[in-house]
Amino acid sequence: MFFSSALIILAGACYALLFAWSKVNSKRFIKLLAHLSYFVLVIAVVELTQAANFSGYWLLVSIIMVIGYFFAPISIWHLCVKTHDDHTITTRGGD
Amino acid sequence: MSSNESSAVLTNPSALWHKACTAVNRFKAWVALDGGNLSPGQTLAVKYFCVAVVLFFAQLLFGLLAALQFIFPGFLYEFLDFSVNRMVHINAMVVWMLYGFIGCIYWLLEDESGTEIVGLKWGNLAFLILTAAVALVVLVYILVQIGSGTDSSLWFINEGREYIEAPRWADIGIVAVMLVFAYNVVATFNKGKWSGIAGVLTLDLVALAGLYVAGMFYMTNITHEQYWWWWVIHLWVEATWEVLVGVIMAWSLMKLLGVRRKIVQTWLYIEVALMFGSGILGLGHHYFWIGTPEYWLTIGGFFSALEPIPLVAMVVHAVYDAGAHAFKNSNHPALAWIIAHAFGNFFGAGVWGFMHTLPQINLYTHGTQWSASHGHLAFFGAYATINIAFFYLAIQHWRGGVWMAGDSQNAWRWKWALGLLNAGVLGMTIALLIAGYEQSFIERAVEGSTWGGYFSAQNHPSFQNAMVWRLIWGLVTFAGLGLLIWDLLTIGKGETRKAQVIEPH
Repeated sequence: MFFSSALIILAGACYALLFAWSKVNSKRFIKLLAHLSYFVLVIAVVELTQAANFSGYWLLVSIIMVIGYFFAPISIWHLCVKTHDDHTITTRGGD
Repeated sequence: MSSNESSAVLTNPSALWHKACTAVNRFKAWVALDGGNLSPGQTLAVKYFCVAVVLFFAQLLFGLLAALQFIFPGFLYEFLDFSVNRMVHINAMVVWMLYGFIGCIYWLLEDESGTEIVGLKWGNLAFLILTAAVALVVLVYILVQIGSGTDSSLWFINEGREYIEAPRWADIGIVAVMLVFAYNVVATFNKGKWSGIAGVLTLDLVALAGLYVAGMFYMTNITHEQYWWWWVIHLWVEATWEVLVGVIMAWSLMKLLGVRRKIVQTWLYIEVALMFGSGILGLGHHYFWIGTPEYWLTIGGFFSALEPIPLVAMVVHAVYDAGAHAFKNSNHPALAWIIAHAFGNFFGAGVWGFMHTLPQINLYTHGTQWSASHGHLAFFGAYATINIAFFYLAIQHWRGGVWMAGDSQNAWRWKWALGLLNAGVLGMTIALLIAGYEQSFIERAVEGSTWGGYFSAQNHPSFQNAMVWRLIWGLVTFAGLGLLIWDLLTIGKGETRKAQVIEPH
């Protein structure tokens, strides 16, 4: 339980980091690593859900974590772009 | 000094005073800091910083004594008991961080408002009163360690509330000082100019003074008592302090990296919204086992799950900025400590917090060394680091805006201080985590939270070895603090190059 919940935050942060990096640098493997991190996060949520015997309302918390962690970095990226509206990112690399 | 000179000094108070003055003057000549570089508000700020560093030293000293008593329970028994050492260790931490934050605000106030501080003499008086009160409270803690709890002991010795043990007269004094501080801030912005940072700071100071009041009244029902006590511990320390750190960080990023005001202010609003959205009801994770209604399990669990969102936002924004800007900065130690702040906050508050915040997990971890592990990394990562970063900003200005970027003299000192302090705190965190894991397993899961289970866990080799390692890493932290103090006193001395001017971009 302890380590699956810690892994949720670590995998969530890795996904956020790699997602943002994939926007700065459009190499495909970064995007793949981001998705891999998100996959680890989902596994960690499932593991926590089973280990802590989540049921009823608590299953909703698990679902919100899975959906929330997926969309949070995307929304925050949009916020970054809007708050720095006169700056544009130069994307490096490419595939 | 010969023995004759020593006895002459001891028997003659004026000789003692003369010796003390000479020592102080020698010290001032050695540090060679020019007060002419500071504005009146900054002069008050550095007084707060100096006391903060002294209290930081006291925090670590009393923490080491308490750590020793975990290994040798008879050490200083009935002379300086564990309960007193632990109390002074935690109280010193709370107060030094508060001193640091107040100093930071006095430092940035004139620059942000564009005018001199209104009512500065009241600010100076409040500093003297607060410092005298803190010294007196600690002295009473040490001199009156045991005794019966009465109305008078509550007013004059110890209020008995964990972490905020200060007697009630001192509580009233703290609120009065906060009100003087709030007056200085509001009146100064009113005279000068308001900004987004000024608005957030002003609203936060209302909460800073107001929430402390929640811990000042006495209730006979322990559940009610704990309910309000957590308003101070969670909302005062975790909410109002976080906003204060956001304000300090916003101003520091403009000065240190030249980030545009519009950006830092927008993100300050976003941070406040995210934190209030998740943090206020996240308070519920403290209400799980104190006798409050069951719905707090649901509220606390849900909002605690949301609390890491601001930290995820921080990660995304950091990568965005790294991609969009090629930042230059003129103060490498300050920037290094701000980076340590970002990592420490993420791991201490985010990972270590969420690891044991859901009620299904907290049932096993509550009140074990797991909490101490989280507390050590989160307080250091979220608060100590940002204060230290600001100390470096202040000392650079105090030295006359000298070069503190790459190729500085004796840069090894700040790098080693940074390394030792961070490694020390991380080492203590891991040692306490191992102890907490062992307690959760043996005391809670295997032996079902029984009294026998408590002692089985305390006497287990894993717990006892973890306590030894905690002491070793505590000594590493202490060495780091020694080096940090030496570096703060000497950095930039003899440096003739001026700091690079950072333009907003």
